[in-house]
Amino acid sequence: MKKVHFSQKQMSILLSILAILIAAVFLFPLYWIVVNSFKLDSEIFASVPTLWPKAFTLKAYQEQLSSLTITLKNSIIIAIGSMILSLCLSVPAAYGLARFKVKGMKLFILVFLITQMLPASLVLTPLFLIFSNLGILNTYLAPILSTATISIPFIVLMLRPGFLSMPKDLEDAARIDGCNVISAFLRVAIPIAKPTVITAACFSFVYAWNDLAYSMTFNTKESMRPMTSAIYTFMNQYGTKWNSIMAYGVLLILPCCIIFVTMQKHIVKGMTSGSVKG
Amino acid sequence: MQSNKRARKELLIGYCFIIPAVVYMLLFIGYPIIYNWIISFQDVTAKTLGSSVRDIIGFNNYRAIFTNVTFRRALLNTFIYTVGCLVIQFSLGFLFAMFFTKKFKLSKPIRGFIIISWMLPVTVTALIFRFMFAEGNGIVNAILLNLGLISEPVGWLLQGGTAMLVLIIANSWVGIPFNMLLLTTGLNHIPEDIYEAASIDGATGIQKFFKITIPLLKPTIMSVLVLGFVLTFKVFDLVYVMTGGGPVDATEVLSTYSYKLSFQLFRFGEGAAVANVLFVCLFLVALVYLKTISKDEVI
Repeated sequence: MKKVHFSQKQMSILLSILAILIAAVFLFPLYWIVVNSFKLDSEIFASVPTLWPKAFTLKAYQEQLSSLTITLKNSIIIAIGSMILSLCLSVPAAYGLARFKVKGMKLFILVFLITQMLPASLVLTPLFLIFSNLGILNTYLAPILSTATISIPFIVLMLRPGFLSMPKDLEDAARIDGCNVISAFLRVAIPIAKPTVITAACFSFVYAWNDLAYSMTFNTKESMRPMTSAIYTFMNQYGTKWNSIMAYGVLLILPCCIIFVTMQKHIVKGMTSGSVKG
Repeated sequence: MQSNKRARKELLIGYCFIIPAVVYMLLFIGYPIIYNWIISFQDVTAKTLGSSVRDIIGFNNYRAIFTNVTFRRALLNTFIYTVGCLVIQFSLGFLFAMFFTKKFKLSKPIRGFIIISWMLPVTVTALIFRFMFAEGNGIVNAILLNLGLISEPVGWLLQGGTAMLVLIIANSWVGIPFNMLLLTTGLNHIPEDIYEAASIDGATGIQKFFKITIPLLKPTIMSVLVLGFVLTFKVFDLVYVMTGGGPVDATEVLSTYSYKLSFQLFRFGEGAAVANVLFVCLFLVALVYLKTISKDEVI
């Protein structure tokens, strides 16, 4: 048997083609949701699915616009509120755990490591009772407070290594120039860590935006529902209106996709440091 | 004296940076978990929800759930689902990682791009897969019919066995890039010259894989598997949106069952008890995880 030898360049092209094929198969579900959102219902229900819409239409989107205003507003308020809250708490914590030799450091890190692993479904019942007693069910506060618990540990664990590796000289210099600790943190450390802090902001936005369990449980009033629980309810009511469901889904994944495409490099880096090492 | 005072002040500021986040997590995760244990020993139903005095009923809630067929089904299902997902997403994730660490032109951009499936709202992922695996007009049936692999459309989500399979496939779609990413990081840490030295000694590709890659990657593999277990075991959104635990209770898992008990049947005590079983399972695995990472001295 003769062994075939490829030159390095040929090999690179061959592997690239293979990679494109893999990506095409893997990302097909994403293609499928987008394509079907531009189809008419009649085309979706044809016995042979079409890979490209025969009659390209925006009808499904137009139908969604009216119901979208409230849920979109809710989603944005919850995601931004949760993002601000988690950044305010977690960025200083990550910095503190990197810069100060406090007692009980390991214990603090352990708190974040453990709480990060605990799922929403674990605390749904008790948080529901607690929020019910506090009278904050069906307010923005309930999903904001609860979704922040997803991103806070993640951000702390993701940002700490960056602060650890940052040279301390710059802050020291600022301190000599009369800055106090807080302004050294705000004016020196944060600007240097800006890319990772922005990544952290993106993560916390996406976590809250993607949440279904908390919002669905705490905010049962229709006017308080974000897009995730609205699309779920919509599907149960109009289970066969697939083009509308897909159009809604596209709008729901749009912010994630935009954030992902613009921040890809940082997100990939953040994912590894935030979820593995700690 | 002066410097001592300064050091103490410094330390105090340090605590001010750290404590708020720690307190927040203890308040909104730590306390609810303790509260959950208390509820699980009480008679909490829609009737007693508002009152501050509730009957303590010992292990009755636990007795109720452990004698319940659906609960036992859910417990078993959670393990089947988790093991199924781990096998698929780890092996394919590993394959992807090996493939994309090869040096070719598009390796990095394409690897980066497929990670997008991990970022999407699980609700939407669940809807896409529901649509693709629909009986009448689903693309999966259309492809399989076209290839002659099935003779008539399969009602994937209407039968227990296949519904579980579809759930595992959908979850793996999210999990594969995650596994790939973590394993890639591990693979990149293995020094190139070990492979070169082995090649000079005449090692084959398979030998290199089993004698170098696997042993050196062991810590990464461990943490990927444990982390994967935790992330998969706690599944809620995906099952809830795709099958709602059905058909009947064929795909019921612990988290969805706990949710149903609490928020559809208003048996909060039993819902809390189911959540605690979930907690114990996660906690045991988390202990293993913490032990492995502290051995690697990453903390």
